[in-house]
Order: sequence, then structure tokens, then C-alpha cells
Amino acid sequence: MGTLGRAIYTVGFWIRETGQAIDRLGSSLQGGYYFKEQLSRHRTLMNVFDKAPVVDKDVFVAPSASIIGDVQVGRGSSIWYGCVLRGDVNNIVVGSGTNIQDNSLVHVAKSNLSGKVLPTIIGDNVTVGHSAVIHGCTVEDEAFVGMGATLLDGVVVEKHAMVAAGSLVRQNTKIPSGEVWAGNPAKFLRKLTDEEIAFISQSATNYTNLAQVHAAENVKSFDEIEFEKALRKKFAHKDEEYDSMLGVVREIPPELILPDNVLPDKAAKDQK
Amino acid sequence: MAAVARVSRRALTSFSSSAQPSAFHRTFSAEAAKAAAITPSPDRVKWDYRGQRRIIPLGQWLPKIAVDAYVAPNVVLAGQVTVCDGASVWPGSVLRGDLNKITVGFCSNVQERCVLHAAWSSPTGLPAETSIERFVTIGAYSLLRSCTIEPECIVGQHSILMEGSLVETHAILEAGSVLPPGRRIPTGELWAGNPARFVRTLTHEETLEIPKLAVAINDLSKEYFQEFLPYSTVYLEVEKFKKSLGISI
Repeated sequence: MGTLGRAIYTVGFWIRETGQAIDRLGSSLQGGYYFKEQLSRHRTLMNVFDKAPVVDKDVFVAPSASIIGDVQVGRGSSIWYGCVLRGDVNNIVVGSGTNIQDNSLVHVAKSNLSGKVLPTIIGDNVTVGHSAVIHGCTVEDEAFVGMGATLLDGVVVEKHAMVAAGSLVRQNTKIPSGEVWAGNPAKFLRKLTDEEIAFISQSATNYTNLAQVHAAENVKSFDEIEFEKALRKKFAHKDEEYDSMLGVVREIPPELILPDNVLPDKAAKDQK
Repeated sequence: MAAVARVSRRALTSFSSSAQPSAFHRTFSAEAAKAAAITPSPDRVKWDYRGQRRIIPLGQWLPKIAVDAYVAPNVVLAGQVTVCDGASVWPGSVLRGDLNKITVGFCSNVQERCVLHAAWSSPTGLPAETSIERFVTIGAYSLLRSCTIEPECIVGQHSILMEGSLVETHAILEAGSVLPPGRRIPTGELWAGNPARFVRTLTHEETLEIPKLAVAINDLSKEYFQEFLPYSTVYLEVEKFKKSLGISI
């Protein structure tokens, strides 16, 4: 059986070699339009000369995010997929427990029409929604920037304030504490209720927990990914309800269980 | 002589650039405390040759892409995401189904740089999954959060659909429209603005154009789909790379 195994292995190897040779043939047929796949050169944390990002070890930085230049990110924060934090001409400080959600852009201005140059400072437990654009602003602790909002230079969003989705906040606007500003250009809409203020800090905590799950998943090595693929395939056809009808208790492998604090429902049950 | 001038200039610029942030750190004293509190990890990966994975399974959830759907390599699908037949997801989009399900229906397209997310619960009390039915065109740079888009609609570019929104059949949203939470767009109407307001009803001819647009984009996506081999050949580059660094394969 040993020699048979070896024979099959060798044949498999020949087939792969043939495949690669045919691939080379096909590439030469494609000639000028041949596309050679290259390794990704995207750098998640990138220095610009002497300015290097300083990112705490608990922070989830998505691999497709770009943190460039003089950026500091405090603990428990998360920078989600596709974000760009460009601290090239000035510095960016992101506090702890903050989440900068997918496809957002945080940039600083070097020269401004009014002449002021401002670093961008984002406080603790801030939620910056998807695709927000924050340019040279100060966002204080526990504020909420809605998705798609654009905050221009010099804007100050005070503690517990909310910038509604899709709003455009013009230069040097100050958004007072506890208010919701919306629209293009952003104007005062209404005051935040206490419930909503509590919700802001709760959402920041939820996101920190969610970030840990994503961080764990993104950091996995090739072997771990393959192993989990196999596990998932095995468990694809097993339905919990059907099993409970049969009286079978099947254990989901620990690799496939999400931590309980991720889904708010389960977290609430745990607390009870 | 010139070298000395260069070195002194460089020293001067580095001095001035370091002086400026310290001045800011003194005025915002909280920042100084924060700067001291950050403990960077020496293990943090600054560059991963694998890049960003397209499909990110979370726990038991595995995003599913149909065999003839074009999903750009740039896209991130995480959690419970299903991309149905003939659908296309264009570069830069992020479909994050970590709290709830996301479905992209038959022959629909999610264009560049969209973010589709699903909240845990919707203010309307209905299921908070983001479901995009068949023949829907979601314009570039849109943000969809826990909304339902019924068959044959067009959502304009850079639009924002918040939790619980419902866009009914044959509706068109102009570019840049913002739907507040729980807004319903009735059948066959054109809405625009921030917040979205009714503009006019659509003529029957315009209604017929909607699925044609989705099919046209489907055809375009097939051309993009053909550019990619079923399996990437980047493993050859990885092997070459590892050999050059002396790492055993």
C-alpha cells in the first residue's frame, strides 16, 4: 500500500506540473494582456517618513484599513474595513473604546482657507458611522457621528451630541452637547433623550465586543482557516431543532461558537 | 558642504515637526495622558501578504457567493451574507452581516464602495435583516442599514437608507437621498432629497427600464467575471517569495 500511495502522489504531482505548464502556455497566448497576480502590498499601518502610527494592542484594525502617518489609537477601539486614517500632514488621536466604522475617512488639514491648522482628535467611546468623512475636527467623548456624515474643518462635536446620517457639517460649526444636528448644511434638529444618550455608550461597548470577534477571525492563519472550513462543512447539515426532536444533543465545536456578548440579545440574557 | 546643509535642514524639520505636536499635547492635557496609556503590541502585523480576505466567516456563519455572481476581490463579506445568482458586488463594498442577515437577490447589483450593514433590531419591529430582492440596482457609495428593497428598484448613488426603511417595487431613489429610519417609499414613485421627499410617480416606460438596467449591469459584470481565473495563481508568487527569504514551503 505504501508504494501505491507513493504512485498516486507522484501522478498527482505530474498532473499539477502539467497544469502549471498549460497555465504558462495560456499566459503566453494572452501575450500583452497577460495579467500576473501579485502579492498584496497594502500596508495596514504605514509610516510616512518619521511619523509612525501608534496603535494599542487591543485595537481591531481591519486588514483593508489604512492607518498612515501620525495616528494614535487607544485601547479597545476598532478601525473597520476600508477605513483610511491619514495622519500625514498633522496628527490624529483616536481615544479608547471608539469605533470608526467601515469605509470612513479621517484626515487632517495642513493649510486651510482660514489659516488654522488643526489636528483631528476623536475622544473615547465615540461611534463614527459607516462612510463618514472627518476632516480636521474634534469629536469629544461619547459622541455619535451618523453614517455618511461629512464633518469639515474645525467642527467640534461636543460630548453626547449626535450628527445625523448624511449630514454635512460646515466648517467651524460647534455642535452643543445633547443635541442632534442634521441636514445639508447641518442645522439643529432636536435634543437627545436620556435613553438615546445611554444608547450611544451601549453601542460603543457592543462594537468593541464585535470587533474582538472580527479581530480573531482576520488574524487566523491558513491552517486554521482550512480547519474551520472542514468543521463547517461537517456541521452544515445538522439542524438544532431536528436534533432536539430526536433527543440528540450535538456539541458545536468551540471554534464555531461566537462569544455571547456579541449579539445584544444573548448578552442581555447573560446579564439576567 | 551640501551634505551638511541637507543634514541640518532635515534635523530642523524633524525638530519643528516634533515641537508642534508636543505644543498641542500640552494644551489638551488629556491627550498627553492618553499618549502614555497606549501600549502598542510588538506582534502587530503592519503588512500581511495575504491582503484582506474576501469572505470572513464568523462562528458558524459563512458568506455564500453564487457561482456566477461577480464579487470584486476588494469586497469584504462578513457573517451572514448571501449573494444570489447573477448578482454583482462591485469593488470597495463592505457587506457586514455580523448582527443580522444580508441578502443580495437575483440579478441585483451593489455598486462601488457601498456599505451594507444590518442592525440587531429595527425600530419598526420587523426583522432587521437587509434584504435586496431581484433586479435592484444600488448606486455607488450608498449606505444601507437594515432596510428592505423590494424587487425592481433603483437606489441612486450616495444614498443613505437607515434602519427599517422599505423601498417598494418599481420605486426609484434619486442620488444623494437620505431615508430616515422606518421610511416607506410606495410603489412606482420617485423620491429624492435629504430627508427624502416625494417628487413624482414614474411612467410605465420608466418602470420597464428598471429591470433592464439591472440586466445591463449584470452583462457588464460578466465581463469582469471573465477576467478572473477560478483559482488565483498568487500561490506561485508566495512560493517564490518564501524561497527568496529562505522560509521552507
